[in-house]
Amino acid sequence: MPKDQFKTRLEIAKKRILKKNHHNKDDNPSSIGAAFKLSTELVAAVAVGTIIGFIFDQTFGTRPWFILIFFFVGVVAGITNVIRSAKNMQK
Amino acid sequence: MAANPMTQFNVYRIGPEIKVGAFDISFTNASLFMIISSVAILLIFNLGSKKSSLLPNKIQLLAELSYTFVSKMISDTAGSKAKPYFAFIFSLFMFVLFCNMFGMIPYTFTVTSHIIVTFVLAAFIFIGVTVIGFMKHGFGYLKLFVPSGVPAVLLPLIVVIEIISYLSRPVSLSVRLFANMMAGHTMMKVFGGFVISLGIVGGWLPLSFSVALTGLEILVAFLQAYVFAILTCIYLNDALNLHH
Repeated sequence: MPKDQFKTRLEIAKKRILKKNHHNKDDNPSSIGAAFKLSTELVAAVAVGTIIGFIFDQTFGTRPWFILIFFFVGVVAGITNVIRSAKNMQK
Repeated sequence: MAANPMTQFNVYRIGPEIKVGAFDISFTNASLFMIISSVAILLIFNLGSKKSSLLPNKIQLLAELSYTFVSKMISDTAGSKAKPYFAFIFSLFMFVLFCNMFGMIPYTFTVTSHIIVTFVLAAFIFIGVTVIGFMKHGFGYLKLFVPSGVPAVLLPLIVVIEIISYLSRPVSLSVRLFANMMAGHTMMKVFGGFVISLGIVGGWLPLSFSVALTGLEILVAFLQAYVFAILTCIYLNDALNLHH
């Protein structure tokens, strides 16, 4: 087989592999996993914030102030979590 | 008659009751299925790595594929510094995957559909990652809670937010796995119950739904193990390469 003919065939094959890889990027399992990830990220931070507020209220006897404050702090933390992992995904 | 869809999650004792102090450490069906999955993993990887032929047989192929899969996942997400933790992440991924997959066989018990199991796994990861972070960076690891370029007025609020977001990691990790497994298995039981109660006339529609759901559940079983492992890698990455 002539050398330049082989080279063009190699080019075509390389391009095909590249295209395939690019196509796979859209529907690989990790994109569904990422969707699952985002939803729990938000809920977990709100729950943790509320629990911390509840514990503070129990120990200091200041119900319902800490629970109120930490609930909203938890919401903020959840939103930061979601934004942060969404940014990570785009990298 | 249609059975209660939640009875599949019942934990019951197998064999005699064993008590240590106030703790009940009897052997249950949950422990049985954990042992079954661990033994299955050990068997597959022992058989798969016994003699490495150039043309691999099916078990060797399975073992090698999962090895390269996890090794690529770790190097992609956590970099080369995470190589020493390969064994831990690999066994974690395999354990979760096998527990999920064994749960897909009818009449078995899904260990990962109990939040205490997933939470213990997540808590170990959380503590381990925190210890690694402090070992690598000393008290500099606390810089994780203080992002750079924040005005001093906002700093107390930001630190509290960062701490909550750090503490929420094990919760989100465990709840995700547990909720996915439990919801999926409950849904399959409910549709199975519809098939029985609608009988031979109307039962075909829920039956086809059940078939589709089974496929989806197998996907979810794999996916959740994958997400669990990849998030461990991401947390490890945060601890090893400290930057925000």
